[in-house]
Amino acid sequence: MAYLAPKDYSKDPALLEAAARKMAGDLDLDWMQKIRERAAFRPGNPHRGLTLADINGGSYGPDSVPELVRHNFSMAPRGAILPKGLPSLGYTLNRKSEVWADAALALFEEGKSRHWAPARDIPWHALDGADPASREERALRQLCSLLSGVGLVCADIAARAVYRLNIEFHEIKYLLCMQMLDGARIAEATRKRALYGAGSLGVDSQALGELLKMVADSDSYPQSSAGLNLHLASLLQSFARHLEWATDNAADAMIWTRVAQDASRFLSYGVDHLRTLLRARPGEAEELNQHLDLLDNGLVGALGATEVIEPLIVLSGGAQPVARLYETLAAELFSRCESAGLGPRRARSPLCDFLKLLPGSS
Amino acid sequence: MAYYGSVEDYRYNDDFLLRLRDLRRGNLDLGWLNAGTEQREFRAENPKRGLTYLDLDEGSYGFSELDNEPRGPRGAAPRGAAVEPEAQADLGPELNHKNDVWAYKVASFTEEAMSRQWDASTAIPWQDLDRYERPEELEIAFAQLCTFFTEVELIATDLPAKWSWRMNNQFQEVKHFIATQAMDEARHAEVFRKRALAGGIGLMEALPQAEHTLKAILDCNAYSEASAFMHLLAEGNVLTMFRFSEFISPTPVDKRIFQLVMQDEARHVSYGLQHLRWVMDKDPGRKEELHKTLEEAERISIGQFDAALLECMIVLAGKGTKPGQIAEGVKLVGGFQVRQIEEYFQRLRRAGFEERIERSLFRQLLADIGHPDPLAAA
Repeated sequence: MAYLAPKDYSKDPALLEAAARKMAGDLDLDWMQKIRERAAFRPGNPHRGLTLADINGGSYGPDSVPELVRHNFSMAPRGAILPKGLPSLGYTLNRKSEVWADAALALFEEGKSRHWAPARDIPWHALDGADPASREERALRQLCSLLSGVGLVCADIAARAVYRLNIEFHEIKYLLCMQMLDGARIAEATRKRALYGAGSLGVDSQALGELLKMVADSDSYPQSSAGLNLHLASLLQSFARHLEWATDNAADAMIWTRVAQDASRFLSYGVDHLRTLLRARPGEAEELNQHLDLLDNGLVGALGATEVIEPLIVLSGGAQPVARLYETLAAELFSRCESAGLGPRRARSPLCDFLKLLPGSS
Repeated sequence: MAYYGSVEDYRYNDDFLLRLRDLRRGNLDLGWLNAGTEQREFRAENPKRGLTYLDLDEGSYGFSELDNEPRGPRGAAPRGAAVEPEAQADLGPELNHKNDVWAYKVASFTEEAMSRQWDASTAIPWQDLDRYERPEELEIAFAQLCTFFTEVELIATDLPAKWSWRMNNQFQEVKHFIATQAMDEARHAEVFRKRALAGGIGLMEALPQAEHTLKAILDCNAYSEASAFMHLLAEGNVLTMFRFSEFISPTPVDKRIFQLVMQDEARHVSYGLQHLRWVMDKDPGRKEELHKTLEEAERISIGQFDAALLECMIVLAGKGTKPGQIAEGVKLVGGFQVRQIEEYFQRLRRAGFEERIERSLFRQLLADIGHPDPLAAA
């Protein structure tokens, strides 16, 4: 164990004596006087219950948190009295604009209220009529295998930030925990889809894996957030919408609707987070754009990889719908980046040249 | 960015352009159709439960046959997919031995967690708080208790998050379980914060000694060490506290909170117990290392004496601060403290680590307060 107790408490007579005194009924009760700011918040809308927004009044709200957190590196909750002697938990994300998004509160509440469990919420029996040997079914299993890996890495990327995030931004920490769950659920649902019936998994994709690794190994949280919440979530949402459009059964329709819904929360946080960052520190835009240039190249490699594009073509009945899918994906990604304050990316992104090379491109 | 991919610019990559040219001509490669992976029949064994991880536990897709050292896959691909080790994007997982992370029943715990998610905003009848008379001194004590729980619950988001991304994706069920735990604990911190801020008092003082315990958990050197400390000892203690807190809760609204958090916490403790049991069974050579960890964990736990925490529980248990109420509170809290240690020892026994009890620092603590030696009693 790396951390050692400052002394051997099991042999500390003062401590044992103090505990014994309490247990003899000799209480101080001075802590009862330590009321800093009274609060009796109630639900603003009874149907929604008591939300995070409802309890963020006064100094308990995020407006009380300065841009640079210098006062709390422990797990003491925002608004609690901070006595001397609180240790540092070693947080490295202590700057508000680096992580914050006002939308996070509502997104967390939405995520909880829209929880789904693939085991029981997907009508798996609706897949019983599928022909496991058909090329379409095998194409879908191939895509599910890849998207399962995307889900796993999405969860990992969120996890990498959770424990580094200062507790003063607890709403963001909550949301990242939800992203861990969302990512794991996407991995679960798509893997189960690939295996249901006479199922199997497909082949790994080096190009897609490289894109995922590029995002996972980002140098900073904003870069990682841009990669996860814009690039990967755009890919997930676009693919899910497309696959929902291409399906003819209730199970697939349910899976892809839910995956798209979950991905939308990543997107909303990502846009709002980067917007917050760039309003506070507009000078960061160019560095982020350079990062996104590299990710766009990785995305080109993934979208053009045989094991990605061909199953899409098979499922879509030709190359033209896939070209439309990719054009929409790119257009929405550019639009999100612009909305986040990154400026127009179309001219600098390799995605545009790639789209022109696609069969059936407009 | 620390990783840039293997292709500088796909627009000028001959192989890539050649493939796209073939596609434009309508020539598909279709090599992915011959993945060479196993084809198996998977159905939901129990339609009410749906398609669970247990239903998929067969052959190369299953977890039962997964070797302790799943050599080769180090990337994103899920277990059972076709992977070319030399052509995968290596995500650099650090936990690659099944024994480092696995637990008996983990797939069941994960499914249970997915089916029992609840929403702290709507599952608690917050409006009903006003229906119950809550004496000021009890509300203050409860606010202090909720401050403590808000403070400590997030260690169980941070610690699992710190380790989960280091785990190989071959251990999907464990990683998924950890994700559910992170979500559970975020919700626990949320519900206790909400309760503290709905009761009229607000958040009170943070507790430094408790924080030192959290730091010790977060700084553990290995996942199994951290799990033994956090899941088995710390969360086990908190689980006993939750049960006691339900008993001493001032209102039915508060009892509802504890009923819901207990259900989650029990799952986390069970995972820790089953992970330790797995390690005891499969990798008994690690016993001494775990003895050392738990010895220091017990030492730190003994040091986790915060007057405010102990006193607020006494006030709540006795339902006030009058001498008779304090005497009653002391009696109940004393019983609870002994129960905490007894239940920790029970978990050690169930995990197959009974020998820890003999060396436990808590035995002397029990002797100091005049409680019979649990080993003699056994």
